[in-house]
This record gives sequence, C-alpha cells and structure tokens, in this order.
Amino acid sequence: MDNLQNLSPEQITNDLLPQKFGRRGMIWTAGLVVICCIGAVAYIKQLREGLIVTNMGDYVSWGIYISNFVFFVAVSLVGSLITAIFRLSNVPWRTPLTRIAEIIAVSNITFAALIIVVDMGRPERLLYLFSHGRLQSPILWDVIVITTYFFLSLFLLYITLIPDVRIMILAKNKLGKPFSKLYRWLASFWQGTPAQEKIRNRSITILCIVIIPVAFCIHTVTSWLFATTYRPGWDSSNFGAYFVSGAFLVGAGAVVVAMYVFRRIYKLEKYITEMHFDKMGKITVMLALLYLYFNVNEFLVPAFKMKKEEKDYLNGLFTGDFAPMFWFAILVGMIVPILVLVFKKGRRPVPMFVVGVMVVVGAWFKRYLIVTPTLLHPFLPKYDSPARFNHYFPSWEEWAITMGSMAGALLIITFFVRVFPVISIYKTLEDRHALNKQNETIEEYESAQVI
Amino acid sequence: MKQLKNMKVHRLYKLITVLLFLSGTSVSALRAQDSVATPTILSLSYFLPVNKVPYLEIITKKKVGRKFEPVKDIPVSVYFNEAEATNLLGKITTEANGKARMGIPPSFKIAWDSLNEFTFIAQSDLPAGQEALTADITIKKAILTIDTTSEDGVRTVTAMLKEKNGNAWMPVKDIDMKLSVKRMLGNLSVGDEETYTSDSSGISSAAFTRDSIPGDQKGNIILVAQVDDNDTYGNLATEETVGWGKAIKPARNFFDQRTLWSTRFETPLWLLFTAYSIVVIVWGTIIYLTFQVIKIKRLGRLRFNKKNEKQKIIIQGTRN
Repeated sequence: MDNLQNLSPEQITNDLLPQKFGRRGMIWTAGLVVICCIGAVAYIKQLREGLIVTNMGDYVSWGIYISNFVFFVAVSLVGSLITAIFRLSNVPWRTPLTRIAEIIAVSNITFAALIIVVDMGRPERLLYLFSHGRLQSPILWDVIVITTYFFLSLFLLYITLIPDVRIMILAKNKLGKPFSKLYRWLASFWQGTPAQEKIRNRSITILCIVIIPVAFCIHTVTSWLFATTYRPGWDSSNFGAYFVSGAFLVGAGAVVVAMYVFRRIYKLEKYITEMHFDKMGKITVMLALLYLYFNVNEFLVPAFKMKKEEKDYLNGLFTGDFAPMFWFAILVGMIVPILVLVFKKGRRPVPMFVVGVMVVVGAWFKRYLIVTPTLLHPFLPKYDSPARFNHYFPSWEEWAITMGSMAGALLIITFFVRVFPVISIYKTLEDRHALNKQNETIEEYESAQVI
Repeated sequence: MKQLKNMKVHRLYKLITVLLFLSGTSVSALRAQDSVATPTILSLSYFLPVNKVPYLEIITKKKVGRKFEPVKDIPVSVYFNEAEATNLLGKITTEANGKARMGIPPSFKIAWDSLNEFTFIAQSDLPAGQEALTADITIKKAILTIDTTSEDGVRTVTAMLKEKNGNAWMPVKDIDMKLSVKRMLGNLSVGDEETYTSDSSGISSAAFTRDSIPGDQKGNIILVAQVDDNDTYGNLATEETVGWGKAIKPARNFFDQRTLWSTRFETPLWLLFTAYSIVVIVWGTIIYLTFQVIKIKRLGRLRFNKKNEKQKIIIQGTRN
C-alpha cells in the first residue's frame, strides 16, 4: 500500500493497462483452446449418441459432471468474499484482489451453468425446467439462484470496471485499436462527475449487500440438492454450512493462485505485495480450519455411530476403494495448507502459490468424493443390475468435457485480462490519492506549532 | 437281576457309541459335501409372456455343497434348430445372477411361422482348455387363452391350451395350469387349488372365490393363466382384466394436496410466497441497478452535450 505513494499516476496507469500476449501467453491460450476443442468434440459425440457414452448408470447417475459443477459453484463464491465482504467491512488492502476475484466468479459461474446443461441427456429440453419445473424441487431453486448470481456477478464486474474502461478509451494511443469500439460501447458515457460517482458507489454498495446472501444461497441450495435426498453421506443437516465453508476455502485458494500468476506475468510486485499474500494466507488458514471442523463433523459423528446402512460407504472412504482419494483430499486440501500457512514464512508468495494449488486440487477431489461414493452405496439393496453399475470411472468423453470446461473457465479469465486491467486502475489511483492526502494531513499536523 | 442291569447298561453304551459314530460320519459327510463344487450346469428355458415377444432364459449355475450358486460371465451362443452359424440367434453373457435373457430376433420370423416344433441349442463359448457346456430344449408351439363366465352369481375362470398340429390348433389335455389374480408381490390363486389340470378339450377351469379382493379405483383386477416350466411347451402366460374386484377409492388423492412431493400445480402456498418474494426482491434490485446505470449514462451524455454547447457559444463569440 505504502509504495503507491512513490508511484506517479502515469506509471500506475502504464503498469496496469492490459498488455498484449507474449509468446508464453499465446502458447497458454492455444493450449486452452485445443483442450476446449477436444471437449467440444466429446460433447458433440455425447449429443449424437446420448449419455450412453458416459460411464454413468442407474446408480451413479451424477458422475464427474456434477462433481465439476459443485466445484465451479464453490470457486465462484469467491467473488462475493473478496469484493462484497471486504468492501462492506472496508478492508483497505482489497484493491488488487477484487477484480481477480470478480472475474474468477464470473468465469466459474458461467461454466457451472453450462456443465449442468452438459449433464442433461436432452439439452434441448432446458426450457422445460422453467415451463414445467416444480417449485418444490431444489433443482429448480438451483437453476434460479445460479442464473441470478451470474447476472449479479456480471453486473458487479461491469460497474466496477466503468471508470477503468474510460481510462482505456483515453489511452487509445497506447492500447491501439483492437478493442476501442468495445471500450466506447461499454463506458464512453463515463465523465467521472460527482453525480455519476455517487450513483456508481451507491450501486456497488447495493450490489455488495445483495450478492452476499445470493452467493450463500447458490452453494447452500447446491448442497440441498444432495442433503434433501435420503442417502448415506448426504443425509445431513450440516450440509449447507459444510459446502459454504468449503467454497470459501477453494475460492480463496483460487484467488491466491491467480494473484501469484498475474503478479509474475504482468510484473505487478508493486501492487500485489507480500503483504497481500500474508493477509490472504491468514484468511486461507482460517477458512481451512473452519472447513476441517465441518469435515470432522461430517465424518466423525457418522463413523462413531457406524449405522449399518452407512457402514459400507464410510469404510469405503476411510479404508476402502476411495481411501487414497479421501485422505489425499483431507491432507492436501486442508491439513498441509494449515500446517504451512500458520507460519509467516509459509505465507510468502511461492509457498502460498503451492498451497493455493493444493487447496484447489484437493477441493476438486473432495467434490468428486461427495458425489460418487454415496451414489455407489444406496440404502435400497442393488437388485438385478449389471456388474459394471457397482463401479464408476469416467469415460474419456467425460474427462474431455470436464477438462474442456475447466479450460473454458481459464480461457474467459485469460481473454478478460487481455482486454481489461487485472487490477482496477481507477481504484489504485484513488487509493494513492487518499494515501497522499492522509500523509499531507499528518505532515500538517506534525508541523503545526503548539502555542 | 444285577446281570440283567449290567446287560441293559452295556446295550445303552453300545447304542450311544453307534449314534455318536453315525452322527459324526454324517456331519463330516455333509461338511465334505458342502465344500465340494460340481461342474457348471447350463440350462435353457422358453418363455411366451402375454403380449410380448417370446424369449429364452439361459442359466448357468453350479452346485456348491447342498445348494446351487449362480455362475456369472459365461459367454453363450444360442442356435435355432441346429448349431450352425446361419441359425445363430445371438450371443449373450450371463449376468451376476447367472442368468441371461435373449429375445427371438425378427429375422427368424419365417422359420418360426413355418414350424410347429423347434429346438433351441445353447453352447458356451469358453476359451480352449475349458470344458464346453451345452444345453438344448425342444418346444412345441402352443397358445394359451383365458376366458371368464358368470352364471347365477358363480364366476368361473377358464384357460385353454392348444398346440399347433399341422395347420390346426388342437387342445392339449392333462396340463397343469395356474389360474390366479395378479397382486403387488405375486399371484394369488383364484380358488383353493394351486394348479388346475386341463381336460380333453384343453380347458382347465376354476370357480372364482375371491369376491372381496381389492381391485383398482374401478374395481378391476387382472386374472392370469400360466403354464410353468412344462417340458413340451415351456412357460406360457396370458392375462385378462375383469371388474370383479372391490373398487378402492382413496379418501383424497395423495397428489391433490399442497405438499412438497405433489405436482407443480399443488405447490405449498408458503413455498410459493417465500420463493416469489425472494425472486421479486433480488430481481427487483437488479432491474433498479440497471436503471441506475442508464441514469449514469444519461448524466454523461448531458454533460457531453453541455460541453459541446459551451464550446459552440465560445466559438460563435470569438467569430462575432
């Protein structure tokens, strides 16, 4: 924060304006496009042949697609955490993180919605969800709340972006023509008058207030998709809080990873400082402890009772087929991050990046474990079903579509940072101005003669 | 006296020793039997269900101890009349329950219609070195019909079995048939007997004595006639719906109430109110914010126009 004082407004603007892709950026983008295309090919195959191309069956009817959906929903929650909660609680160091959090939220909620359509055997019937939907069904609540959160996140991203786009319109000599039409369409009306500024600030505050309950709702309702179904592992009144805490953790992990990557690639060390990593590290360790607490609740209590109907499911997780994945998710996704982040050295950029990756990877496997083992252990005994229904491993089409969706989410972020500043220029200049004013006041106060 | 007593005791000892020996040997024999597994058995059954295509059920099992255990994953080829490639009905593999089901393909219709008797041959396709399993059954083409009569308050169920002989359908006598009412968990015989035997006209009949049996909402019940596991005709079944049951009408249709599990037209009012309130509040806010952005836009254009006007006045002033 303090180093902003030493930077001129021109330097801040120059540093934070979007930059053209270098060679690494082009390779990265091309790689993502290729993965997306493979996913698209697999999806076309699935459309032509039906869900038979997947390895889902009568028992595991929600496979890797729904695991991935829960993962995307979880990551998208971070937009509300960083932007809304930090803004409403007036966290002074939030500026370099908010835009990153917002675009992560938008990209992930977009693909959460898309992956649900992928999971539908007949996507052309999507509209039936609205025209024939039962309001009693949590699936309809999820559709409504995800659509709402998508628009709110997009709105929040846009409204905070307006002054920056105006700056980019003014810097057209430096940025060139490629996106000038888009910039003019988005924010040519912005003059920065006090009246405009007042409306914009009020709108952001309203958005931040509304987005928090909606964000809680998306993950709570997603958890209810499971918890309202009477099955081993899902029959829990704790599921909403368990999901929300997990979502905050994976979202924080995703922001940390993005912070590190953007800081390195765009050389933003002056803006995303070690202090930011330290603060995010403290938040992440707190969230990891919270999520671990909910995990203990979710697994220790049923394991203590070891009800007959849940025995196979729990043993499968603790010592059975799913044990390596389960302990990997617990250790890598929670315990190791806690052990690393409690130390100050662990909250420096490089270890934070590694921990962020661990949290995100662990969280993905955790979602897989929430969905699949339960479906393989129904309360009603399996009867007259083919042997392959007793196991589930995604087909190559499922893997390709899942990877394609992840690449798609990353591609949205990649294109966004190519077109728009990854850190708000306007807010950084505002922070600098506020800092200078504060220092001037301190200097005046200190130089005042006491009579 | 004492001698007599001794003799009795001696006999008792003998008897106990013999009994212990016999029980010991029988237990060990049973144990030995339990642990011995016999070779796999392949069997074939023919089914002609009501209003459905005839099908074959292939079963693979083996005797482990005193009971049969299913044998899964046995690939089997099934042939029609002769075990030749042209007569292959299909290939199938037995499931976890040791069973596999195969319908008669439509391509065999002409051969099927032209014959009155046919043989099905099943052969296992096990890898070389393993003993091949075979089974066959010969089935005579037959038809089973069901009818009902009601005279002087006496209701009678009749079933008739006919086999195809040349071009004519001839009645078959001395065949055991089941005449029953379809229930949720199985079939209940219409009378006191479990089976009824057909007479010289191929008819078996039974008086319907289940007068108060519950039917559907209109009082309909389904009567079933079955020939089970017959060596000549296989398994045949036919059904008829009659209004002989007691009409059951629920006091109020379960799905007509406003509950969480009813149809979408019967959503509980509290849920409708809560959900719509939330949607209206949140989307109302989004619409309000959209208008705020439009307002920002207007303010910007207004200022832009004012600037232009000022510039015009200045330019005009300098010209004057």
